[in-house]
Amino acid sequence: MRYLASRFAQMLLVLWVVATLLFLMFRLLPADPTSAFIDPTFTMEQQAEIRAAFGLDKPLWEQYFIYFANLLQGEFGQSFFQQRPVLDILVSALPNTIMLTVTALLVAYGFGVLAGAWLAWKRGSWVEAVAAVLTVRAAPEFWLGMILLAVFGFGLSWFPSGGANSAGARFDSELARLFSLDFWHHMFLPALTLALYLQGLPLLLMRSNMLEVMQEDYVTMARMKGLPESRIVLRHAARNALLPVVTAFTLGLGATVGGNVVVETVFSWPGLGRVLVTAVASSDYPLAQGAFLLITVVLVVMNFAADLLYSVLDPRVSHGRG
Amino acid sequence: MTETPSFSRRGLLLGATALTAVAAIDAPASAQGAGGQIRRITLISAAQASDPQEFQAANLVAQAWRQLGLDVEVRGMPRPQLSDLVWRSRDRWDTTMWRMVGRPERSDPDELVYNLFHSSTAETGFNFVGYRNPAYDAVAEAQRRELDLARRRTLINEAQQLVMRDVPYFFLVYPQNVIAFNNQVMRRETVVDQAGIGQRNFWTFNGAEPVGAQRDLIANAAEALNAINPLYISGAIDSWVTDLVWDRLMRVGPDGLPRPWSAESVTTVNPTTVDVKMRPGLMWHDGRPVTLDDVIFSFQAPAGSEAPMYRPFVTNIAGMEKRGEDTVRFTLREASSSFQTATLAKVNLIPKHVWEPVLARLESSPQNAESHQEVEPVGSGPWKVTRFRLQEEIVLERVANHFAPPKFNRWILRVVTNTEASLGMLRRGEINFLADYRGDPALLQNLARQAPQIEMASAIDMGFRFVAPNLRRAPFDDVAFRRALMTALNRNLMVQAAWNGFAVPANSHVSAALTAWHLPEAHRANMQEARRMLEEAGYRVVNGRLHYPAGRQETLQSLQ
Repeated sequence: MRYLASRFAQMLLVLWVVATLLFLMFRLLPADPTSAFIDPTFTMEQQAEIRAAFGLDKPLWEQYFIYFANLLQGEFGQSFFQQRPVLDILVSALPNTIMLTVTALLVAYGFGVLAGAWLAWKRGSWVEAVAAVLTVRAAPEFWLGMILLAVFGFGLSWFPSGGANSAGARFDSELARLFSLDFWHHMFLPALTLALYLQGLPLLLMRSNMLEVMQEDYVTMARMKGLPESRIVLRHAARNALLPVVTAFTLGLGATVGGNVVVETVFSWPGLGRVLVTAVASSDYPLAQGAFLLITVVLVVMNFAADLLYSVLDPRVSHGRG
Repeated sequence: MTETPSFSRRGLLLGATALTAVAAIDAPASAQGAGGQIRRITLISAAQASDPQEFQAANLVAQAWRQLGLDVEVRGMPRPQLSDLVWRSRDRWDTTMWRMVGRPERSDPDELVYNLFHSSTAETGFNFVGYRNPAYDAVAEAQRRELDLARRRTLINEAQQLVMRDVPYFFLVYPQNVIAFNNQVMRRETVVDQAGIGQRNFWTFNGAEPVGAQRDLIANAAEALNAINPLYISGAIDSWVTDLVWDRLMRVGPDGLPRPWSAESVTTVNPTTVDVKMRPGLMWHDGRPVTLDDVIFSFQAPAGSEAPMYRPFVTNIAGMEKRGEDTVRFTLREASSSFQTATLAKVNLIPKHVWEPVLARLESSPQNAESHQEVEPVGSGPWKVTRFRLQEEIVLERVANHFAPPKFNRWILRVVTNTEASLGMLRRGEINFLADYRGDPALLQNLARQAPQIEMASAIDMGFRFVAPNLRRAPFDDVAFRRALMTALNRNLMVQAAWNGFAVPANSHVSAALTAWHLPEAHRANMQEARRMLEEAGYRVVNGRLHYPAGRQETLQSLQ
């Protein structure tokens, strides 16, 4: 319990530091956000009025306190350009991002774990040499996405060229949209691109863990007992080799939520990454702060979850008990 | 339709660079009667990544000026930072690349003729170069008051002549807007070319006729929308939607002139009194009738503090009154030749029953009308909003009982952030109107050649690209110096090398697209002539660097 409370306090501290850095970072950027926003025909009074409406006429410390007081109430402020609450904008982009990220991660880690275990089993064979070359962690997402789009989208016409739904498609609810065939058809290529990009880490991690675990005494013991190789690999070695991969998965989830900018742009996928890029490019402080903060929260919470999960999955790991 | 440029951009740049080198060797070096050496001049531009054409043009400009002995540095910076510097620190910069964008209300030359160069806007307004000329002020004011078309045309010509003489801008090009559409989905003849706007306009979206079974006009946008709000000028793409959903009393027609729209007629009673007679039977999308009170409210709402972006368009209205059942009389503070275009064809008609309570509530809040997003937007235009996701897609449905009902059933705008994907989508039929293309026009041209169903069109924009000198700072305060620099610029080279042939040389702040107002001018780049002009004005090249005329020293710092 004490451990939990201490980790929780650390989490809050990290969030406060990040929130403060975000606040300062955007205000230290060279341009005034209203430069791109204010029409040149405006008088100085009108320009001042708009700056006042955004709260940019107040001293920095006052802006900081207002920002923090709002944050504590779950209020992320109003987007300068879209003139809507930041939370609404983020929440509307989140379902697409979560669906894409979780699907891609599940595919990447499912494949990575199985392929990693298999490669460890086939160590030294020609299969391992070929597979290592095909591990496409190094292929840039942009290149990979464009190739898949050119082949399966423009060339074979198997999949749509972009967006999350067909033009003008109607759905009864958001849930119906997210689980419609149309949505999954549109998500196939972006999810595949992201999965191909992400699978390298779990694959290599699993393989190296497996190689290590295969040297353990209990594996030797299992072999001496005459158990079939497949059972030794799956039941004994793979289960133990899986622990670091589970941790990587939770951290990966946090990191990937905000890191889909490239895939979202290539496939015109309306998600959080694109919101973030647009907000930064147009100096939309509240929106950029809100998006970064949301990503930080997911990342920090996932870190926390990884810590807890690790101690649950591996009883040998203990926290705060000396 | 556009011709393919006959030579490559790379070839042109190499040629231009070679010429620069030859000319530099050829430069005269006379120290006689020279003043101080001119400081390094910084030409600021949007960063190469964000606007490669502009950055390329900046480098061509710098190359040409270096041939005159000027030390020119091109500095790319993010657009907001550039705007911030030019707009807020008006005495710090030397020259900047700049652009004026085309908008329907700029079909009337008043906004650009008056605001760009009238001395009253030099301090804090549009006249950021600081041009002050009482003769120009008088002409700009006179054309604003002049309601006779022929006399006004003479005044606009005079304004252009003054600008050509005084060179407050170094005009470069009028860019061409490029679009493409599927001619198996919409009839080619119904795609309208609006003067200065091109084929992506209200008249095309409203009047295009389907030719096959497809009844959805599906267009693309390269970036997400910000809002759908009749009291908020939130972005160029957003305005395509507001144009279709909210009607105005007048609309700027394909010929660039205002024509009655929701109004049946617009009558100028005297220079400061305008009567607007409404069409009968106009309805809001929620089924309620459009009343004269709604019309008056639509012009009153922006006058307060709740819609600052629309306020400039209504400040000249002194009062409005109902006259009879169907007419509203507008009384103006002063005569305005652009009132119809800049006000009656600009301000959206909004329903009083929807917006009055909203504005009342906002009065006591820090937000204004720009932050209000209707869940179901209500206008009286030919299209109504069915649903929208600003990051993703806007779906409009035709209003069958509108006085000008659209021919397509639905107008769908898809946000496609990948330029190559938008070409693929056009070819595959996922979109049938490429409304927003930011890639190389030559690629689109190739696509149109390969796929006969794809038709490409381009039109000269009423906007223009130019180099803005800071007239507050020497040596740009000297008109002779500016004329020489202008003479050194090869605008045909800019068209080919920077805009890949998809632009025409510019010479005036009234675009060549506005044929009724534009004043053509024969201009040829001539480096020898430019050198002669500098020499004649007392400038001297010493050891390859340009110096001020005798007795004049450099007193300013280069941009840090």
